[in-house]
Amino acid sequence: MQLFIGGTCAGKRGVVEQRFGSTCWHSAHSGCRLEAWPSVAEPLPLVLEGWERWIAERLVVEPDDDRLRHAMANELDKLCSWEAEQGGEAVLIMLEMGRGIVPLGAEKRRLRDLNGWLAQTAAQRCVQVWYVRNGLAKLLSH
Amino acid sequence: MIAFVSGGARSGKSTFAEALTRRWQDERGGKRYYLATASRGDTEMQARISRHRRVRGEGWITLEEPVDLCAALDRVVPGSTLLLDCLTLWASQLLYASQLDETQGTVMIARMLAEARQRDIALVIVSNDINEGMPSEDAGVWCYVAFLQRVHCLVASEADEVIQVMAGLPQVWKRHGERQP
Repeated sequence: MQLFIGGTCAGKRGVVEQRFGSTCWHSAHSGCRLEAWPSVAEPLPLVLEGWERWIAERLVVEPDDDRLRHAMANELDKLCSWEAEQGGEAVLIMLEMGRGIVPLGAEKRRLRDLNGWLAQTAAQRCVQVWYVRNGLAKLLSH
Repeated sequence: MIAFVSGGARSGKSTFAEALTRRWQDERGGKRYYLATASRGDTEMQARISRHRRVRGEGWITLEEPVDLCAALDRVVPGSTLLLDCLTLWASQLLYASQLDETQGTVMIARMLAEARQRDIALVIVSNDINEGMPSEDAGVWCYVAFLQRVHCLVASEADEVIQVMAGLPQVWKRHGERQP
């Protein structure tokens, strides 16, 4: 599993397209639900993007941050299992949103926190982590 | 030669870019220009411009142009080195104080980069990183960030050197046209 993380419009999608060529996209921006990824998984690398949207959908029905973090970590573990057992390849695209001012709204603060925690959890499970900035990618860990 | 230097507010990006411009001019010869995109506006902005000018010191030919970067480039002698500071203000003036749109702005940047290469003008371009906080829900702000990022990606793609400055320290993303690991 690989993680590509960067800010808004940092060029993450372009970097992934360039590196992986033919891929299968599972995007929250196209209305895909996170848990539906097994139905689209193919031999091609599976790109999952829009994690902040999937968090935002879940935090309105789950008030407990720890339970939500655990649920999101479970989704990552399912992807790891799929890779290990079926030879799949998952590519995660996540949004860096933690470098601005603290949001005024409680829900926005939760979203920002949960998104940052999820990125840390994902980085621990990924063999490579890339930071994307202005269309260029730098390897943070492998 | 084209360099793209970006970073957060007060990260030291302008100081780094000025030093790089001086170095390139020393190596290449020719004149050294400073293209300011800031409009004088209010007194705080005037003080900011005066501070930048004082810190830069002597030896610069200063041009001021808030929007039409190609017109400013036409005034630069071939073989010179030009520091453009900064794209952030240029983008806001283009979107909110001119009749031009994002597409025309992107075309202008592409043309400026091509003309600089054609006329042997070394370019050092400065901008701010503003896209790593929470995405704005305001459509206007979102459009601005998306436009600036599109321009950043274009400039970074064309540049020979791409440098991120943090706390005054340069992090190299691209050197001599090669992406750095």
